[in-house]
Amino acid sequence: MKIAIQEALETTALTLGGAVLFAGFFQFNGWLFADLVYSEGVNWVFLPAGFRVILVLVLGLPGATGIMLATWFLDRDSLGTSSMWLALVNGVVSGFTPLWVLKILERGKRTQHLLQDMTAQRLLNFTLIFAAASSAAHQLVWLLMKRADVNIWVDVWPMFIGDAIGALLMLYGFKLLLSRIKVKRL
Amino acid sequence: MEKINSPFVSAYLRFLQLAKVIQALPDGMEMDANEKALLQAVVLRWYENKPMTVREAIGLAELGSPATLHKRITRLREKEMLSTLNLEGDRRAKFLIPTQRTLDYFNDLGQSMQQAHQSLAA
Repeated sequence: MKIAIQEALETTALTLGGAVLFAGFFQFNGWLFADLVYSEGVNWVFLPAGFRVILVLVLGLPGATGIMLATWFLDRDSLGTSSMWLALVNGVVSGFTPLWVLKILERGKRTQHLLQDMTAQRLLNFTLIFAAASSAAHQLVWLLMKRADVNIWVDVWPMFIGDAIGALLMLYGFKLLLSRIKVKRL
Repeated sequence: MEKINSPFVSAYLRFLQLAKVIQALPDGMEMDANEKALLQAVVLRWYENKPMTVREAIGLAELGSPATLHKRITRLREKEMLSTLNLEGDRRAKFLIPTQRTLDYFNDLGQSMQQAHQSLAA
């Protein structure tokens, strides 16, 4: 019983930590690349897409839930208005599309084993598939829920490019950071 | 084997797995087989306290023509795998010496060999 409570607390902490990271980087991205905004919610460089990859691969379900909560938080102004359902579904798509893609690609493997067999090439493939699935799912939802000014065949490309570039920048930034960390041998 | 129940521990271990993959992402600094062969020849001579000059390196006929080897040396220098050294008193001879990046690369290879040896012995 005590262990179950501890597990629940740790999972909650990971979920909230993931949400804070995603929301923080969303705001940071908006500030850093304000000039590269294509339309509302679409940027030619979208760094949080990198966190989608990292959070879902490392945390799995808590990571996806964290992204969903962060997206709801970012869209909080829409909650309670006529576009509330759009904001809610948007959050679900944002968090759970990468997890759904991961489940398909895993083909029954546990994430731990998937990462064990992961190569750099596979990670790059994953990143591009995540970006494609995420942009397609977002645009589809926006189209189906009749968000104003949506042209799926045109808008999906900036979103895909933004997600792919953002995710690659994050991964390579992380690589640079890791290369700068010197490990002291015992 | 005991199953890990702590989400923190699982997340950290998966983070380490992902970090290892991220470190292996291609960055345009990888060497092809020909560059590796030349680097090995140069570093071996340096290890034997007889560093190779550029003239000697471009004369390694078994690895390619002088023009090809010269280009290869240039690429290895651009990738910060080789640097050159002029000895005092002889400005003409330019010696090829490994950089810290090269020593780290060979260190990694040595560790991988040791790990493979240990796993074979186990």
